[in-house]
Amino acid sequence: MNSIYAPPFKEKSDNFAGLDVHAGIALFLSREAEAADSRNYVDWLRLVDENFTYRIPVPRTPDNPFAPHYDARALLIDESRWSLETQWFSRFDKKMYETSWAENPPVRFRHFVSNVRVRLVENESLLDVRSNVLLIGTRQSDAPKFISAERFDAVGVKGDSYTLVERWAVLDQSVIDFPQLRIML
Amino acid sequence: MSISESETPLSVSRRSWGDEEVFAEEIKRIFSKTWQFVAHESEMPEPGDYVQRKMGLDRVIVIRSEDGVVRVFLNSCRHRGVPLCRADEGNTSHFRCSYHGWTYANTGELRGVTYQPDVYGKNGIDKSTLGLYEPAQVDTFMGLVFANWDPDAIPLNEYLGDLKWYLHAILGKFDGGMEVVGTPVRNIVQANWKTEGENLSGDGYHTMVTHATAVELGLFATTADLEKLTENLKPRFSGRTVDCGNGHTIRVQRLPVEIDENMYWGYPAYMWESFDRNLDKGQQEMMSALSVTHGSIFPNASFLENFKTNVDGPDLHARYIRFTVRYPISATQCEVVWFLFRPKEADPVWNRLSSLAYLRTNGPSGVFEIDDAENFVGISEASVGAIARELDVTYLGGLNHPQTTESVGWPGRVVDGDKTERTLRAFHRQWAEFMGAESRVVS
Repeated sequence: MNSIYAPPFKEKSDNFAGLDVHAGIALFLSREAEAADSRNYVDWLRLVDENFTYRIPVPRTPDNPFAPHYDARALLIDESRWSLETQWFSRFDKKMYETSWAENPPVRFRHFVSNVRVRLVENESLLDVRSNVLLIGTRQSDAPKFISAERFDAVGVKGDSYTLVERWAVLDQSVIDFPQLRIML
Repeated sequence: MSISESETPLSVSRRSWGDEEVFAEEIKRIFSKTWQFVAHESEMPEPGDYVQRKMGLDRVIVIRSEDGVVRVFLNSCRHRGVPLCRADEGNTSHFRCSYHGWTYANTGELRGVTYQPDVYGKNGIDKSTLGLYEPAQVDTFMGLVFANWDPDAIPLNEYLGDLKWYLHAILGKFDGGMEVVGTPVRNIVQANWKTEGENLSGDGYHTMVTHATAVELGLFATTADLEKLTENLKPRFSGRTVDCGNGHTIRVQRLPVEIDENMYWGYPAYMWESFDRNLDKGQQEMMSALSVTHGSIFPNASFLENFKTNVDGPDLHARYIRFTVRYPISATQCEVVWFLFRPKEADPVWNRLSSLAYLRTNGPSGVFEIDDAENFVGISEASVGAIARELDVTYLGGLNHPQTTESVGWPGRVVDGDKTERTLRAFHRQWAEFMGAESRVVS
């Protein structure tokens, strides 16, 4: 029996958050992208919940225009905060990076985050945050390549501060042409 | 054209990794003459289910027809050549061309020609001769669907030969059979299609260098992991490579343990009894205490079964089974298709751990793969120049490894030792045979 993965929120409401919350979330997403692009993983982890999960379903071209352009039974990426911290970010540790061949030199990543939509959900400690992302990756001195995606985030709210609780990203390319598939969208 | 020109007897010219002329010959001589893996039957459980795949540069539709038979068709209308199928996968009883509307049943027959009397006259076109173009041969082994354009090629059964026993050990040990987990990932790699295939053919030599960080991260069984599994450890991993003929090879690496009974670590205990029942003694030896086994099916498919450790936290180990296929695009570019397999009877908790063991190590974004890919891309980048292309690569590894005795009970030519280039030599010997090049590669 195939298990089915899913984005954080099933329903898409019209209950948008106010402009102040939108501005706060846009700043939060920009800070997160800044930390990721500069490989400042200590800062990045500060923005992320203890139980954070990050998944990308396998993109595909479906046979009808109403079906999603991904297959929720299969994943390209399935990570947790633990796996990101120990298996992704450790590769940049001073004692390890010399044999982290794919990160030495690292692919330069640049996030362009836009079209941020923040929706209120029943659970008041969470926000349904959707955004578009264009990720440009430059390997060594090669020409840059790009990948575009729609992100579906669950963002945790505690007073004035936010944490990333869950990220589900849907890629637009079904045959992915990018310098490296270890991508933090 | 001499393709594998070489001064030394154990080398292949680096033209092979970046020369468009060689590539064009490969498309003609290899990809229109060999059996190629296109799909697994589980991807098309119901009549009408189809997936779109490639054989060389040709796009093909693999479909389970209304009569239950899995068929393969060139994805191109017989009228003016327009592709009939634009999706990666789906279900249909018919294909209708978007240009003039010719319609085909999913058995390949041309059923409808639009405005036929107006355009062709009453008997002006013989539909029976214009069914979808099919490979001359289509056959399956353990649910793996292969196709071949060449009517004179030897049957699949004979082509796979000794490799079948090893594929059975990997795919045939489960009571409920295997299925592919959803849509396969596809990506473009800026490397020649042969590069990853020759690595997966049995290169046990690169592991501790290319994958040094993966080992350091605890993803590849360490002494500390193994001590928790058994008391009797041996100082070193052991391994074998097998030349199965026809360019097919396999490497098997065993964990460094001394055990009296079969230990299929990485699988849930409830499966172990079925493995003993479904495998013969030699296959049990191969699968018990397995570290990793991988091999290549000539020309462009590879398989991998692997025991990965601490994948989702301490002591969370699992095996997974992966197939990959490389579609050629140019001398320096290929498309890789990634299939994760799972046993149908597995429970959801183990399935998830197996999926993580795959995705975080040898999946498309896994730590092993991203480091491998740098080597593969680099080989093509560094082989296109006028000077580099005239040089040879060196395949001297493993010439000193001893042949095992027949009492081992493994088919094919089996050798003890897996830090080797022996399987790469077997791949390139077969390549040279199809290319008509004088092969100077010896085993």
